Amino acid sequence: MAFTSVSFILFMAAVLALYYLLPGKVQWLLLLAASWGFYLVGGGWTIVYLLLTTLTVYLAGRALGALNSRKRTDKVKGLKKLTVLIAALLCFGLLFVLKYGGYTLRLIGVKGFEPLLPLGISFYIFQSVGYVIDCYRGKHPIEKNPLKLALFTSFFPQMVQGPIGRCHELLPQLTAPRRLNWDSLKYGIQLAMWGYFKKLIIAERAAVIVDTVMAEPSAYPGAVTAAAVFFYCIQLYCDFSGGIDIARGAAEMLGVELAENFRRPFYAVSLADYWRRWHITLGGWMRDYLFYPLTLSKPFIKLGKATRSRIPGKLGKLIPAALATFTVYFVIGIWHGASFRYIVFGLWNGVLITASFLLEGSYAAFRKRLRITDKNLPWRIFRILRTNLLVFVGRYLTRAPGLTAALSMLWATFTGFRLSDLGGVLDLGLAPSDIVITLTAMAAVLALELYQELGGHVRAGLEKRSWFIQWLGILAPLTAILILGILLRGDYIPSAFIYQQY
Amino acid sequence: MKRLSSRGWLVMFLLTILLLAFLLAAFNFVTDPFGAFGDRFFTWWSYDETNNPRVAKLGYLDRHHGEYDSYILGCSATSSFPTEALNRYFDAKFYNMIVYGADMRDTENFCRYILDNYEAKNIVLNVYLGNGLSYGVEDDPLTLSMPARAEGGSELKYYLRYLFANPKYGAAKLSALRKDTYLQQDFDVFDEKTGAYDKERRDLEHIGGMESYLEAYPVFAQYPWARYDLTETENTMKSVAAIRDMCAEKGVNFVVVTSPLYCDYADYFPREQVEEFYSALAEVTPYWDFSLSSVSRDPRFFYDSTHFRNDAGRMALARMFGDGGVYVPEDFGVYVPRGGGAGHLSAYWDGPELDRAAYTAKVPIILYHDIDRDETAATMNGPWLRGQLTALKEAGYTSVTFNDLYNYVMYGVELPEKPVVITFDDGYASNYELAWPILKELDMKATIFVIGASVGKDTYKDTGVPMNPHFTVEQAREMIASGLISIQSHGYDLHEVEGRDPDPIRQGILRREDETEEEYIKFLRSDAEKMRALLSEMGTEPRVLALPYGYPSELGEAIMAEEGIRSTLTTEPVTNELIKGLPQCLYDMGRYGITSPISPEELINMIEG
Repeated sequence: MAFTSVSFILFMAAVLALYYLLPGKVQWLLLLAASWGFYLVGGGWTIVYLLLTTLTVYLAGRALGALNSRKRTDKVKGLKKLTVLIAALLCFGLLFVLKYGGYTLRLIGVKGFEPLLPLGISFYIFQSVGYVIDCYRGKHPIEKNPLKLALFTSFFPQMVQGPIGRCHELLPQLTAPRRLNWDSLKYGIQLAMWGYFKKLIIAERAAVIVDTVMAEPSAYPGAVTAAAVFFYCIQLYCDFSGGIDIARGAAEMLGVELAENFRRPFYAVSLADYWRRWHITLGGWMRDYLFYPLTLSKPFIKLGKATRSRIPGKLGKLIPAALATFTVYFVIGIWHGASFRYIVFGLWNGVLITASFLLEGSYAAFRKRLRITDKNLPWRIFRILRTNLLVFVGRYLTRAPGLTAALSMLWATFTGFRLSDLGGVLDLGLAPSDIVITLTAMAAVLALELYQELGGHVRAGLEKRSWFIQWLGILAPLTAILILGILLRGDYIPSAFIYQQY
Repeated sequence: MKRLSSRGWLVMFLLTILLLAFLLAAFNFVTDPFGAFGDRFFTWWSYDETNNPRVAKLGYLDRHHGEYDSYILGCSATSSFPTEALNRYFDAKFYNMIVYGADMRDTENFCRYILDNYEAKNIVLNVYLGNGLSYGVEDDPLTLSMPARAEGGSELKYYLRYLFANPKYGAAKLSALRKDTYLQQDFDVFDEKTGAYDKERRDLEHIGGMESYLEAYPVFAQYPWARYDLTETENTMKSVAAIRDMCAEKGVNFVVVTSPLYCDYADYFPREQVEEFYSALAEVTPYWDFSLSSVSRDPRFFYDSTHFRNDAGRMALARMFGDGGVYVPEDFGVYVPRGGGAGHLSAYWDGPELDRAAYTAKVPIILYHDIDRDETAATMNGPWLRGQLTALKEAGYTSVTFNDLYNYVMYGVELPEKPVVITFDDGYASNYELAWPILKELDMKATIFVIGASVGKDTYKDTGVPMNPHFTVEQAREMIASGLISIQSHGYDLHEVEGRDPDPIRQGILRREDETEEEYIKFLRSDAEKMRALLSEMGTEPRVLALPYGYPSELGEAIMAEEGIRSTLTTEPVTNELIKGLPQCLYDMGRYGITSPISPEELINMIEG
């Protein structure tokens, strides 16, 4: 049941009606039933993996709970670590086998193992493992009711593509009794409409150009390839953030606030800033459960001491952090898929971010000489454009069919870019009118985000306006979605959400 | 001003959704791209039927069934039994209830609906071997579904489905409206009056030698291979029996025919299963079997891999009704009595190889224009003409007329061993003064294509610029009376010459850039009308059109065909292949234009080369 299907809208309406009619004590049970129902429709029997994961982390949580109440001896500490390790190995092992098992076996010459990747598996596994680690850290009380925990691991709006939630934030919200709150309902609907706008009007159109070029990238001149990657940047953002907006909107209608996953990444001033604005919950997960544990681990601390004493200056201090950064981006890269291009993608980000740490001082000196501050507008615009360019280059790696294809596309773009070739974009299966619609709608997205970036609040601002303006705020997106998202859709085939496959 | 509460906002939101839903429903109702609501505003049934023939055809018939008293039912191949021939032979008013992709359950439902709701004298059922492949399959809910009133099921759900259908269908209909042309296009493949596919375009395309046909339709050259099992024969026959019983109960004449099959398609199925299919049909009802015969082995009798041509359907009906005049291949059509089994099919499987030469003929056509009076000039003059015609004769050629060609194709009247057609374009006086005496002398026949506006003239019609003189009506009558000369059409006023006629000139039957399709069609019809009047003065009627400048035009030739033209000639230098049973071979025939004097040997080499 895709978010973009009529059945999802009807499903949502039915869940909402029932949810607010039911007594508060059993509302969460409805959410669990709806979530499992949603999963069964979309994922079928693969719900078994979801249930197994839930069971694993439930048992691990209970074990940690029992250990937490015991005296903190070394043995207990060891057992706790072992419990986390086993649970994490089981969960990530499952993810690895399903996601990379076929690839790994092919590497050693065994063919034929192509398991069906269960719906949203990455997201629920990350969320579940996070739960176990938080139990270990005693960050929240152990959940004793397995069904409540099951709701946490399977809550349907975030099931397919996140955001990745944290137990202490999400679980209490999911199980709390709720009365109908008109504001939440309104905000939820508005957010979801915005998500549909981005997905149906922008992402689906941009996908046509992207898919055409990426099916045979070598057939196109550098300028067309660059345009395709440009459209891919648009597509990926609108697809992913659109899906997240629908998820967050749907949850908000139920009174549940899901974590923010995107914060206007196109306005990032550095690559590090970009990663704090893009797929925030994954970045946060990596930070809390990988980066910090890594940098605070004994070997890293030892390494830090060693490099500080042997390598003078900033570099010596930075090496452990850089190594951890590399590890994080390497893992993020691998998480996207079993391919060298993702590894290179991880390295690309790791190198640039580490380099920017190292060059920070030089930059500051440079700025000082030019007498500009970080608030200087042209300087800021320059940084935004520079960041977008770096992201743009990185996107060659995530979308090209393979590493060599990505590199030769980059080569074509940077050595053979001729503006006159750009006309070729018109022959990629997307009508000129659709290209105009895509770019205009994207401009609207960026304009609205700029307003937010400058501190504006769209929904709050709208509320203060007359009913007629507010009505236009309903009519315009609804009609745009209906007409541009459905009616005027060309012959292209609507595509699934990209992040659904991770 | 009071602030709008969130509750108020939500009410407004729901009302807006309702408003948009209403607008969507209204849009779908008005555009009605499937004809589910009677297409009240556009009445463009051929479009609706293309989208979903099941829904739209019943929508059309609910309003028009009074115009019909008989129905032919079946899947898409059924279209090729022409209603015009059915009407003539059955003395009835047929509607061709073909539905693409129909299985026998759909057909049974249609038959029941027709017999329950309309008056019917005859039900002709076409059974296609492919019917044995599938039965009662659920299809796309918008484009391939049956109307609830014919199939059962909830009518409310049915109408809601079309009210809230994706509006892209309605939008496509509106945009097609702007693109609609006189000839059928992909979006309106049906002829709403007859119910059949509108094959006007395909029925005018030139068919000639096998090689060019395979080039035009490569599917026959490399027929996709597959192996299928006829798993639904039993269910199919149950439905046939149900249709038979319904007809018997209502006292309706029930006739069963089977579709001609292309040989490679028939090979998809194991022979035993094919025999079982046809003998199971014989268990249910007597029928006319056209499935496997020499027709199956010649792709030119097929539009595509699975659909036989209207001409095959026309011959099938002629066979059923013993229309002796019409050419029908001897082995095409066997009457199988009830319980007759499938033994008759062994003639196809075990019979001799197909001899294509037996029903085809090679015919070169030679084209002359003016004959020069100056016998010393290096132009086509009397002596040259005499030399060439004599050479043809000596090489064994017999001159024939276009009527002979038509009779060969339509009625199977044999041609002489080496036929040739001699033609003269434009109607110059020299044809009367110089060519005719030579033809008389050699006892050879020829056809002269006159430009109507130039008959009897020696100046251009509008500018008065002098031109070579043209013979008169009187002279034409004289020539026709000799029995050697036929006069046919080169267009009444389609042959304008740059510089001699006022701009913009008309280039044959091509449409002028400055006229609308409607104006163009009107012009062609009036031109045909003038030509008809002129030729009737000469004592003949226009049947053959030598295309001015040799330029072919699909629409132009379609209009001319509607105006009675049954052959057209280009100036492409090729020898024509005529095929008995396929009058389309008479369209766009090639001619060898002799513009400069060539030796008799060269001429013979040219037409035999």
